[in-house]
Formats: sequence, C-alpha cells, structure tokens
Amino acid sequence: MEAGSVADRGPSRPGVWRLWALVPILLLVGVVALFASTGASVLDLVGQAPPPADRFDVRRVEFRPGEIRIRVTNPQREKLTIATVTVDDAVFPFRVDGPSTLDRLRSSTVIVPFQWVDGDPYRVGITSSRGIETTTDIAAAVESRGTSARGFFGYALIGLLVGVIPVALGLAWLPSLRRADPRWLAAFMALTAGLLSFLALDALAEALALQAALPSGLQGPGLILLGVAASYLLLTFVAGRFSAAGQRERGAPLEGVGLATLIAIGIGLHNLGEGLAIGSSIALGELALGTFLIVGFMVHNVTEGLGIATPIASGARISLVRLGGLALLAGAPAIFGAWIGGFLSSDLLGVLFFALAVGAALQVVVEVARYVARRAPGGLRSGHVVGGYLAGIAVMYATGLLVG
Amino acid sequence: MPKSRVTRRQLLVAVAPAVAALPLAKVALADPSQAGSRGTHAGMDMHSMGHAAMSGDEVPAPGGPHDLDSLLYPPKPLPHEPGRVREYALTAIDREIEVIRGVTFAAWTYNGTAPGPVIRATEGDLLRVRFTNAGTHPHTIHFHGIHPSNMDGVFEIVEPGGSYTYEFPARPYGMHLYHCHSTPLKKHVAKGLYGAFIIDPPTPRSPAQELVMVLSGFDTDGDGANNFYGVNGPAFYFAKYPIRVRRSQTVRIYLANLTEFDVLNSFHLHGEFFRYYPTGSGDHFEYTDTVMLCQGQRGIIEIDFHNTGQFMFHAHQSEFTELGWMGFFEVVD
Repeated sequence: MEAGSVADRGPSRPGVWRLWALVPILLLVGVVALFASTGASVLDLVGQAPPPADRFDVRRVEFRPGEIRIRVTNPQREKLTIATVTVDDAVFPFRVDGPSTLDRLRSSTVIVPFQWVDGDPYRVGITSSRGIETTTDIAAAVESRGTSARGFFGYALIGLLVGVIPVALGLAWLPSLRRADPRWLAAFMALTAGLLSFLALDALAEALALQAALPSGLQGPGLILLGVAASYLLLTFVAGRFSAAGQRERGAPLEGVGLATLIAIGIGLHNLGEGLAIGSSIALGELALGTFLIVGFMVHNVTEGLGIATPIASGARISLVRLGGLALLAGAPAIFGAWIGGFLSSDLLGVLFFALAVGAALQVVVEVARYVARRAPGGLRSGHVVGGYLAGIAVMYATGLLVG
Repeated sequence: MPKSRVTRRQLLVAVAPAVAALPLAKVALADPSQAGSRGTHAGMDMHSMGHAAMSGDEVPAPGGPHDLDSLLYPPKPLPHEPGRVREYALTAIDREIEVIRGVTFAAWTYNGTAPGPVIRATEGDLLRVRFTNAGTHPHTIHFHGIHPSNMDGVFEIVEPGGSYTYEFPARPYGMHLYHCHSTPLKKHVAKGLYGAFIIDPPTPRSPAQELVMVLSGFDTDGDGANNFYGVNGPAFYFAKYPIRVRRSQTVRIYLANLTEFDVLNSFHLHGEFFRYYPTGSGDHFEYTDTVMLCQGQRGIIEIDFHNTGQFMFHAHQSEFTELGWMGFFEVVD
C-alpha cells in the first residue's frame, strides 16, 4: 500500500475513492484486534481497573394486586446478577421474568409476591451477587393497571382533554383575530413566539432532567443534541417545501396556513412529550391526577390554539375541516404520548421526545420572527411585538403555575 | 439499618393505623402448599402464622444442611485439671464467603469462616493459641477474659505472613469472645474476625445439648450499615435447616453479639421461657424470653422445652429478623 500509487490512480477512475475510503477502517480493525489481544497488559502499566459499580438501573416499579414488579437494567459493561431483593429492608422471595444475570443494557423484571398497602411509601432494593444494593424509593404505592381497553381509553381521554380540546378552543379566537388591528395581530404573533420560546426552554429542562437519570452509556446529552438538531432541520426543510409549494420567492417567510401548520407541528411535538410525562407519572403513581390538574393543563394549553390561529387570521378563509386538522396536529400527539408513557414508560423516549420538541419550537420561533419582521407594522421593535412576546412568556408562566 | 427515607405523606398518617392491618391478610392467604413440605407435627402451625415466606425451599440460605455444625456444636468440655495445656491454631485468611444465597462478601476470617472456630477451655487450663496471619492486612487476636497485657492482642500487631502465640491461663469461667483488634477496628470486626470463647467452670455444668450462637451482620456494600444478619454466619441458615433438639434434655446456648454498626442486637425465643445467665460467670439468672445485647455482650441461655414442634428464634429487631437473623428449633421427643 504505497502512497504514490494512490496519488497516481486516484483521480483517473470516478467512484474508486469510496473503495480507498475503506483503508483507514480496515487499518483500525487491525489495530483494534492487535490491542484487544494484548490490551490488558498495557493498561496494567498505568493502573488497575476499579471493581464494577454494580448499580442496577431501576426503570420502573409497578404495584399489582399481591405483587411488586421491578424492571431493572444493567447499565455497566460487566455482567450484573440479581441475587437478593428487599422491600423496606426485609428480604423477600422473588422470581425473575427474564435472565437473572444481565448483560450490558439488558433488562429483566423482578416479581416479588407482596401484600403492599395502598398509598404507603416503599423502598425496594436489589442486591447484586457482589453485595451492592441499589435502592429505589416509591413515595406512595398505587396500583398500576396493565394494558387494557379501559386504560387505553382512559389515557386517550386524558390526552384529548389536555391536548386536543384546549388547542381547538384556542382556535376559536380566529373570528376575533380576523377583525383585529394589524398591530394587534402582530402582537399576537409575537405572543405565539413568546409561548413557543417558553415551551422550548420547558422541554429542554425536562429533557435534561430525564437524561440525568439515564445510564451514562446511553449518552443523554448527545441524544438531546441529536433530537434538537433533527427536528429543527426537519422543520426548516418542511418550511422550505411549504414556501416552494406556495410559488413564492426563495427564502420568503412562511405565512398563513403554512406558518400555522408549522406552529401546530412544533406545539404537537411538545404535547407528545407532555403527554408522555403525564402518562408515565400516572402509571407510576407519581401524579395526583385531579380535576384541578386537568383544568390547569387545559388553561395552560388553550394559548397554544391562539398561537395557531393568529397567522391564519391575516390570510384567506380556511375550512373547518382544515382547522380541525390543525387542532389534531397540535393536540393529538398528547394522546400518543400518554399511551407511550402510560404503558411503556421509557425515559429514553421521553428524552428524545422532549429534545424533538425543543428543536421544533425553536425553529417555529425563528419562522414567526421572520414573519413578524417583514409583516408587522413597525417590525420587531414595535411596542406591540415586544409587549406581545413578553406577554406570551408571562402567560405561559402564570398558567404553568396551575400545573407546577 | 434504614438509610434516609422519603417522608411519609402527611395525609397518610391519619389512615395508617387502619391500613396497617392489611398485612395480616397475608396470614389468611399463606400458601398451604409450602407447609406441606415440612413435617406434620404441632409446629407446622408456624407456617400459617406469617412466617410462611421464610421457611421451606424458598429460604435464600446458602450452603448445605451440616455446613455450620462445627460452629454450632462446641467441642466437648473437659474436666477441671489446672495447668493442662489447651492448644488451638488460628489463621487469618481473606476469603469470599456467601452470606445469603447468591451474594458473596469479601470477608477476613479466622480459619475460613465468619465467625471463626469456637475456642473452649476449662478454668485453669493453660490456653495456647498459635496465630498465623495469612491475610493481606495486619491482624491480632484480642481475647476477653483475664490475661497479661502482652497477651491482649492490642500492641502485638501481627503483620501479613507473621505469627504470634497467645498463652495464658483461662479465666474466669463464662461465655467470652475473641476478635481482631487492629485498626480500623470497625473494619476488622465487620469483615468477620471474631468468634466464641468458652471457659468452663471448675465444677462442670449440668449435662445439656450445647449450642453456640454468635450474632453478626454483613455490610456487603461497604456503606457502614449491615445488609444482612445471621447466626454463626449466613442469613436465614437455621430457617432453612432448623436445629433439632430433644425435649428431654436442657438446651444450653452460648450466645454472643458481635454485630458491628448496630447499637444493639437481641435474642428472642417463641413459645418458651429460658434462664439467661449474663456472661455465664455466676449463678444469677433472669427468666425471660428476650435478651438484649450490645456488641461484645454475651451470656448463657438454658431452655427446658415444654412442648415439641417448631419454635422460631430471632432478633427482636424485626428488621434484623427479615434480613436474615432468624431460625427454628425443631423440638422432638
């Protein structure tokens, strides 16, 4: 493999570069194989590997009639064995649904026959074969329902109540907005940007909090960046397509139904994460789901409908069906989120969904800002726009207090 | 011992007494199929009394039925012969031991077990204990009792590979103990370097079925709190392999507490009372069914069983009980 021959032959045949691109990869495979066969002795020169942490990652604790089910994952490189199970510092017999010795990132469910007391706090502990105990505290035992038609319907109803209905109600501002002064319309557009900014930060905080609990091997921060970048760029691409379809000049800001659709997608992705958070909290008994909380989410999310309605107000008439479609686009993901959260409760998906929401919301804020900059009387610096943006954040903060 | 715990919700406090009754439902629901596997004498009622979870095949005790015999049954007492030499050899060994089924603990042991072997002498014997340190840390043997200062196992540290012979007249009679006194002391005791040390009185005690019980705990995750408790070592061992005794003869237990980290441990017997002689060095006793011991405290228990069947014994700290410090007597005619 001589460098000279590469230079000589490279440019002559198109496509051959792909073959040569394999060279570093093949070399890497060779070096890795060499290191793997002698590697341990190299590491001995500089130190000694610490013993494995032997901490289980407790994914989910469910209380079923007469038993507690604990879903655990092995987050470390070394194998991890489920040896003993305690409930409130007492050893109990158990069985394992799946392997007792877990390879990296593999999961099993530990089933402990146990007469638990409704509403009592519990601490469950899983001890590894090396004697390391991982404990998890449950604030209050609440029966987890398995997958059932009833539960399916229940979560759908919750998603409908906190997602679809508030957005639909917010869209009813449309007739009023159509009659509004352009300055006020600009103010409401800015308000939309404000509330989306709030949602973006809110989703980012949720994603960061959730990823902190993930095993480090799953690289939470990287996953967030991936989600944010993917949704931001995907929506940029979609916005470009909407512009092109509207036969407008390149780079013109979106408006009308196109912009409303984009906003609906951004809000929808946020509601997906929100639905997931609500669903898993209910399933794990962490959330006291009362009338007040549902009402809180409705008030909080009704402004999202306003955000979608505003760009439509300045454009052509829109059919009720399309309006309903927008409401579903923004609200229905809450239903899917609630199902996923209620039945799967995956922190990994939660992180991803919230990250997607961040990127989408940010992209829509940018799109709205471009629209306002071009269309609003006085541009971005008018009092209505500045006031509207701040009001958007303030409204989200104030209504957020209802669900905090 | 419990670690920091989430505070109970305020609202629950009001209803707690009512719901606390629910675990009793388990009594009624106890699986009768478990009871069937264990004899049909009077004691089998035990299985429907809420202990069902920790008897029979499900008990997570490691080892086989006679693994702890050498620690449970002490050497026979010898008659009073002042000046007779009693020799023992103890070796400190680092060893992984199984403290509950499936869980190993990197112990420091005397002769490979935690607790170490039972040392027994008659008052007036010249005790000679050859100690070899085959471990990786400096160790000693510190005996309780009366002996010269240089036999106390505090100043004569035995480095790994070294040895030392402890020699002193055995006195006073009673139930004593021995343990390593190297620093950090807490670590050396918690790791398993301790055992029972019996000195018999010049006038022999009445014949009895003699047992030794050393109470201890195992801090497997090194957080300064015990994860499991046991008698003579592994958790739940005598729940899985009940101790068989005859009703016709007194049962004498040489009892010592060497539990680290916890302030107290205790011994409680079901369905019977016993005489408890503190330290076993005198004639006064208490007639009771529960005794409380701090670390290093010990005594002699004498039981005359009135009934046959299975009788539970355990720490009357419920937490210790459910972490392994429990067992059964099987009393037969």
